[in-house]
Amino acid sequence: MTQDAADRIRAEAQRIMALGESSPRVARDPVNLPIIENWVEAMGDANPVYTDPEYAAASVHGGLVAPPAMAQVWTMPGLRRERDGSDPMSQIVSVLEDAGYTSVVATNSDHVFHRYLRPGERLTLRFSLIDLIGPKRTALGEGWFFTTRHTWYSGDEAVATMDFRILKFRSPAAASGPASSPETAEGPAPPPAAPPPIAPRPATQAPAAPAPAPPPAGFVMRPVISPDTKFFWDGMSAGELRIQHCGGCGALRHPPGPVCPQCGSDDPGYVRAAGTGTVFSYVVHHHPPVPGKQLPLVIALVELDEGVRLLAEMPGVAADQVRIGMPVQIRYLRIDDELTLPAWRPAGPASDPGAGPDELPAMVVDVSATFVVASALATRDFTPVHHDRDLAIANGSKDIFVNILTDTGLVQRFVSQWAGPQALLRETKIRLGVPCYAGDTLTFSGRVAERIALAGADRYEITVTGRCSLGDHIIATAVVDVPRSQS
Amino acid sequence: MTSDPRPPAAAIVGIGATEFSKDSGRSELRLAVEAVRAALHDAGLRPADVRGLVTFTMDSNAEVAVARELGIGELTFFSQIGYGGGAACATVHQAAMAVATGSADVVVCYRSLNERSGRRFGQVSVGAVAAPTSSGIDNGWHYPMGLSTPAATVAMAARRYQHVYGATSADFGVVAVADRRHAAVNPHAWFYGKPITLAEHQASRWIAEPLRLLDCCQESDGAVAIVVTSLARARDLRADPAVILAAAQGCGPDQFTMTSYYRDELTGLPEMGVVARQLWQQAEIGPDEVRTAVLYDHFTPYVLMQLEELGFCPRGDARHFIAGGAIELGGRLPLNTHGGQLGEAYIHGMNGIAEAVRQVRGSSVNQVPGDGPVLVTAGTGVPTSGLILGPA
Repeated sequence: MTQDAADRIRAEAQRIMALGESSPRVARDPVNLPIIENWVEAMGDANPVYTDPEYAAASVHGGLVAPPAMAQVWTMPGLRRERDGSDPMSQIVSVLEDAGYTSVVATNSDHVFHRYLRPGERLTLRFSLIDLIGPKRTALGEGWFFTTRHTWYSGDEAVATMDFRILKFRSPAAASGPASSPETAEGPAPPPAAPPPIAPRPATQAPAAPAPAPPPAGFVMRPVISPDTKFFWDGMSAGELRIQHCGGCGALRHPPGPVCPQCGSDDPGYVRAAGTGTVFSYVVHHHPPVPGKQLPLVIALVELDEGVRLLAEMPGVAADQVRIGMPVQIRYLRIDDELTLPAWRPAGPASDPGAGPDELPAMVVDVSATFVVASALATRDFTPVHHDRDLAIANGSKDIFVNILTDTGLVQRFVSQWAGPQALLRETKIRLGVPCYAGDTLTFSGRVAERIALAGADRYEITVTGRCSLGDHIIATAVVDVPRSQS
Repeated sequence: MTSDPRPPAAAIVGIGATEFSKDSGRSELRLAVEAVRAALHDAGLRPADVRGLVTFTMDSNAEVAVARELGIGELTFFSQIGYGGGAACATVHQAAMAVATGSADVVVCYRSLNERSGRRFGQVSVGAVAAPTSSGIDNGWHYPMGLSTPAATVAMAARRYQHVYGATSADFGVVAVADRRHAAVNPHAWFYGKPITLAEHQASRWIAEPLRLLDCCQESDGAVAIVVTSLARARDLRADPAVILAAAQGCGPDQFTMTSYYRDELTGLPEMGVVARQLWQQAEIGPDEVRTAVLYDHFTPYVLMQLEELGFCPRGDARHFIAGGAIELGGRLPLNTHGGQLGEAYIHGMNGIAEAVRQVRGSSVNQVPGDGPVLVTAGTGVPTSGLILGPA
């Protein structure tokens, strides 16, 4: 695009940003139990503070509350959406479409929940354009990222905000169809990012070759993954320890390979190991530096309870605390979208007093067509790609797919299942990845990234990954406060 | 198929080396050429006599390049052997087989490396885990987790060995003290004139617990070459031949390269056991008849484990076997009389073969009296090899 055209878009964005918040959109209904019940039923969220008056009365809330992840639901425009075109989002969308950026994909949805809402409160929504960046070359084509801030008010009080980031792009392929509404836009999601380049092998052929340069900061040693070992690394990403299990004789084996050395069968499967075992031997590495690791580094060879051995690091454990024979439990160290490494931590509460486990129990969601439709409608999102398969396919999708409001709901459910019914969800930051189509399975894994002691509660920052068969559907962080008496 | 336990009728008739340093200032190819030339001179042979060349897959200098530089002309046998230092004695094994089968009557084995000034094996080789090979995949089970140096891979076995048999860091230190004592009187050794005490070993810093700095071999620049020919031709040459009484390679069950962590126990070196059985059978001797031995010593714990695997003492008893100066000059089994790779230089085990030849010739600076056979082993923790040499 020409410099002039880009400058024009930026100038328009400046003008729209200067307008500030839009006029208020008033929720059709006040916060109410029937809509909440629809929603928790669709999401599978069993927290009684939303629906059980007796339990809620005795809880930290003192009465029923609405799920915080429903904030946006209350002000959704509904089936007969009407928009006058004067709001900031409509304005920036038409500027970009006029410049040829007709395709759309949402990339981020970040919520902050200031407080829980009670039945009877009627919300208003105001939104504003807060950011525009571009033009950027993306995997989808040249485009512009813009962020709108949605603030929900109860009376004059801001009760929740959402920063919603969208990429409007010019698809290099065929002319794109009609742009979908950015309010719930989920076009074709960007393909998973290409793995970071692997450092070149040190030159060994050049005589008197200089010593190879040290790897750059942030460099991570990655395993070469073959068809024989892929299940293990997929399991790591999904938060489970998979051990090869021979389909012929049932022998367990690690490291895995294509053929069973015991019986010769070439039918390897795997079992999910408990992730517990004892230290068989260990090393404390002091020198030289190891890319991506802090020294000294404890690395333990562990005999799993299932009988095979697995080697992994043992971060955060003092070298003099490690013993051969000590019981340990697996942790999953998420490096990035492509790599999760196994790690060990001492097993048992005695060695880890007061702290909850680092790993959240996995949550598996069967993404049936019914789930996609029911959750979309329960979030009052009537965009056809979430309920009309023919139309979804005509728009270039494989099938109907999960909407973003449901992603927020599932992150809330996943975190509060672990944190307990009285925990308070403060924040969710969701990066949107590959689409999750009807018929897939969505597996959530998570771990505690940080714990901060507050007065009367512990604040946890949780990293969450929701994976489907195509890869990472969402990567998120959530902040949740857990009352201390409860933890 | 039954195998003939007799070794090939071949001998080592020449040894040659460059100086051992930390910065050769020359190309690895040039070092290789200098070492081969010196070995041929030692044997009283000319480059034109050479028909075969053998080296390591890890060597940077192809046989064709070495042959070109030396004006060797035609080659009828050339080979490279894998698995790092495990290749050392196997180069001579293959040369002897080539001689015995008539493929080549004079074969030179060589290893040349600027391992200190160039690519240092002791550092993390990020390329090793990125290789799209079965070895790269194997490395994926420990490199990304941070176990990514030779010392660390040995430390894992050493810790288990300590746990099972009660060996201590000081027991490992006994090997370092012996090596350094021998190096101290060897003018070619990097640590010439620099013996160490056990207290110095114990005070040296951790590299990968339970390995200390002084448990680890040096990083060296240098090259070594070995000339092999038939026994018949050896008799016409000027040096006393070191007859190859036995030569063998060995790979154990469930073998990995440095990380055979999935066997029942970590306290042995089954691949060295495979080598040992063949050596004793071929040479028709037992451990008690060995006069002196060069046991591969990139890291001290594996010297203890080799003594057990080779049958010099029962399993777990090596710490008792080596005590009281037993492996130093004058002891019951002097080891690594050149100073080993801790004291002389790390030339991937090839300098140990040269020392075994000197012991057969009677020309070692730490000569062990007698004319009994001399044992040499190659790299440990990897598929490996060994030799027994003796006088004609």
